[in-house]
Amino acid sequence: MRYVIVGGGVAGTTAAEALRKRDAKSEITLVSEEHHPLYSRVLLPHYLKGKVPRERVFLKKEAWYGQQQIEWLTGIACEHLDPRNQFVGLTDGRELPYDRLLVATGGEVRTVDADLRGVSYLRTLDDADHLAQILCEQPADARAVIFGGGFIACEYLNLFSHFRLPTTLFHRGAHFWTRSLGEEAGALIAKHLTERGVELHTRTQFVNLLGESELTGVVTSQGEHAAHLLGVGIGTSPDFSWLKAAGVDVGAGVRTNAFLETNIPHVYAAGDIAEFFDEIVGRHIQAGNWMNAMSQGRAAAHIMSGEREPFHLVSSYATNALGLEIIFVGDTLKDAADEVRVLGSVHALGVTQIFVRQGRVVGGVLIGRNQDRAAITKAIQEQKTASEFEIC
Amino acid sequence: MKLHIKVDPDLCIGAASCVTIAPETFQLNEENKAYVLDHGTEPTPRTYERVIDVTEEEKENLILAAQSCPTLAIFIFDEAGVQLFPDL
Repeated sequence: MRYVIVGGGVAGTTAAEALRKRDAKSEITLVSEEHHPLYSRVLLPHYLKGKVPRERVFLKKEAWYGQQQIEWLTGIACEHLDPRNQFVGLTDGRELPYDRLLVATGGEVRTVDADLRGVSYLRTLDDADHLAQILCEQPADARAVIFGGGFIACEYLNLFSHFRLPTTLFHRGAHFWTRSLGEEAGALIAKHLTERGVELHTRTQFVNLLGESELTGVVTSQGEHAAHLLGVGIGTSPDFSWLKAAGVDVGAGVRTNAFLETNIPHVYAAGDIAEFFDEIVGRHIQAGNWMNAMSQGRAAAHIMSGEREPFHLVSSYATNALGLEIIFVGDTLKDAADEVRVLGSVHALGVTQIFVRQGRVVGGVLIGRNQDRAAITKAIQEQKTASEFEIC
Repeated sequence: MKLHIKVDPDLCIGAASCVTIAPETFQLNEENKAYVLDHGTEPTPRTYERVIDVTEEEKENLILAAQSCPTLAIFIFDEAGVQLFPDL
């Protein structure tokens, strides 16, 4: 059997490892666009704050790939898929035949249409190294601006606060995570941030950057903001072109069934790029978090090597924004829910939203209410009806 | 065999991967940090580290749980104090 895995992140690398564990003989090739061995993107903020040294972000050593007899191609992407003859074309001109292909390429970070020294993104280790460098270069009166209203914006808030940089944050929506949060939860985050000195601008568009070669400011629809540093966290948009050209069904992500199989025989998807049919919540979802990526990588390996077990996981992600704990569990898209119940309030300094669809609990967002996590996770796992489910 | 399981609460971000893989050993506290249980019980007060007696199969699963942690906040030592995970 010849396995080709495209994407060297946690989903792809976990898949390679799990395949090798079950099968000592098959050929396994892992195609990675990055040059680094597997590292934890979740640890990048810890590294930037000096909480862990840079070498601690790595989860595999370079020698590991050889020891596992995994052919590891770095600095290479996939640009062509021939599903009939079962091979992929790589950017270095090689063609790799496969018996089973796993697509685990994650997402490409969305960028603003301008670049100057001082503009940063926070997805890869190279991004973090670049940001570490520009953080060192800042004058004593440096000011920071953040563009975004999601998880990466939270990381920037904590990072800039750590370096005691006065910070302005703007985003296009009325509040953070507009696809998931309602007004009460959004207001709680806004209140928490503004009380801690963040200058917050909502419903604000990015217009342009100011500066010659180095950033001096950011122009938004609200006006000009002085800035030496800009942190951009406005989501990801994967490159689907080579997959679409091959006839792979693509929606918000690469669509799969509950076995992580795409519509093309022998082609599977896992991790951030997969929009898989989640049997627990009863619809296709895309879960851009670590727990999901790692678990799907392992599940895809098991399925590709012949096990017929659907992927089941209630995944979650937790972060905090200047000390306010924020947790997402399960399916948290407002538009896909029939009802969103709200517990708590801004006044009580805690808001939990419970997402209900077809009478069942399918997701939860907890802001400053960690205590609800276990009950909500269990209710989703056990497919409890909303009427059976009581927390207060 | 006995294993010494330790969570570094400064590194833990409450991603809960360990709770998903080994709920008998890890749960989250009110601060959203993983604490360590002994087969679902807490014979001593709540703690971030504990020595527990495990089978070979349980040990494999605990290493898997530690590996799944995105911040490598879980440390596993054997009886002699040798660090089994993360690899040094």
